[in-house]
Amino acid sequence: MAVIEARALVKTFGALRAVDGVDFRVERGETFGLLGPNGAGKTSIMRMLAGLSPISGGQLFLSGLNVAEQSRAVRARLGVVTQADGLDGELTVRQNLEVFGFLIGLSRRQARARADEVLGFFRLRDRGDAEVDELSGGMRRRLAIARALMGEPEVIILDEPSTGLDPESRIRVWEELAELKRADVTLLMSTHYMDEAETLCDRIAIMHSGRILDEGSPPELIKRHAGSAALDIRPDGASREDIRSRLRAAGLPYREVGAIIRVTGGNGGVPRLPALEGVQVSERAANLEDVFLTLAGRGLQEDQP
Amino acid sequence: MTMAATTLVPETGFIRWRSVHAIWWRHLLALTRVWQVALTWFVIEPVVVLLAVALGIGRLVGEMEAYGSYAMFVAPGIVIGTAMFHAIFECSWSTFERIGQSYYETALTAPVTIPEIILAELSFAITRALLSTFAVAGFAIAFGWIPFVALPGLLLVSVGVGLVFGGIGLLFAALAPSMHALSLVFTLVATPLYFFSGTFFPISVLPAWLQPVAWVAPLTPLVELARGFSVGPLGSTHLYCALYVMALAALLYPLAVVLMRRRLMK
Repeated sequence: MAVIEARALVKTFGALRAVDGVDFRVERGETFGLLGPNGAGKTSIMRMLAGLSPISGGQLFLSGLNVAEQSRAVRARLGVVTQADGLDGELTVRQNLEVFGFLIGLSRRQARARADEVLGFFRLRDRGDAEVDELSGGMRRRLAIARALMGEPEVIILDEPSTGLDPESRIRVWEELAELKRADVTLLMSTHYMDEAETLCDRIAIMHSGRILDEGSPPELIKRHAGSAALDIRPDGASREDIRSRLRAAGLPYREVGAIIRVTGGNGGVPRLPALEGVQVSERAANLEDVFLTLAGRGLQEDQP
Repeated sequence: MTMAATTLVPETGFIRWRSVHAIWWRHLLALTRVWQVALTWFVIEPVVVLLAVALGIGRLVGEMEAYGSYAMFVAPGIVIGTAMFHAIFECSWSTFERIGQSYYETALTAPVTIPEIILAELSFAITRALLSTFAVAGFAIAFGWIPFVALPGLLLVSVGVGLVFGGIGLLFAALAPSMHALSLVFTLVATPLYFFSGTFFPISVLPAWLQPVAWVAPLTPLVELARGFSVGPLGSTHLYCALYVMALAALLYPLAVVLMRRRLMK
């Protein structure tokens, strides 16, 4: 049975359709990623699920509970890490956890014991009496995740878990999330980092302008939309316009990213380039970024009437 | 997917008291962590006002036959006025800061609803009003300006202060676009009320056209009730005052729920 299910889900803000008819299912124990740029609708979906934002249309279920009607029961099963962390600066690290534990329904003694556990899990035990303001960005994020675990939730939703963290803290957060996954917790996360999605997620929905462009495991998506390899062309001395017209003539999808013209293989293998002179071509394994560029490029074209 | 009808929990119509209790406890914990500073709000500041007004101004005013002395007239006014500042500060300034720090957003990810948040904020406004009254009235009692037997009555009135001014503070917190705008709650509401609600002088000395305004001001019935308990005698006016306070509280609560929902749930 799907743990999370969205059916034709819609979120509107006035005339803006932030989420524009989205369907997806997340199975038990799965890590599911919503991948897309800012404004794609990822946060809106998570806020609706967490009961922080009213649902404008369609339906959303968690473990068979209708989120629109049973938000309280839904939230009793959910752990939520919002983008803002929402840590309580007037309390210590440990008090943040214990007070939240009491809020979700634990007794004070249970809350104390559970705070010990999660502090240990996140290697924050020696920081228990510290003020929240004394923590580094990485520690703050881990404390926010620790707080979401206080109620031993069936499902955890994380809105951009590693945004704003330095590389080392990022990897630490990833390790801890991977460990949760091993404990069979279902994770729904949003991210705009391709590497994060590729590292953590079993399946990904690629979002753009409130819609899901495609969905699948990272290797599936790469195979489907970017082929096995991608080519990066550095025009150096050659005329860009000339390269563009040759690529178009050969029917190859391309995208210009800074100094590079990126050619993906579509659904085939390695793209076969037409004869080009005076350029540097390097071949590399296709990745999610290629998928996103291909899909988002197509999505943008579809937006044009 | 099948809908499990048995697990259906109605969103409205019941209050989960644990939510109210937990948020109230959080506020108390945050307050006790800064108890040294809090002590100055609860004790030093009001005592300075009490001494200055009762002894300084009171000496100039001389006798106020109906009340015993000016100090005995003004003491219950200062007790209630100070409680008002605590309630309004808690629910405007502190609440607004907590909105900015995503405190409520986090609380709402737990099985908590907006009415429960509002009730928790009001209960803490009441707590602060009670602490304030206990401290200020305690001093006034020590100086012989308020009889000891009036204390339970003053504490009861302070519950009303917490509900009414906590409610008003919450409206401002929910509506204010910025801290700047929020400060209007002090310049437009708290400070004028502190002076013109029969706290420092009887409303009867105001110009005739201003008197009706002073009588409907939300602090007036509370000061009147406090003076009823402190100086006496309690009469039918006080019954009207009590009803007015209850009506205000009953009006402010749903309004605060609606406005705060609009602010927090987008």
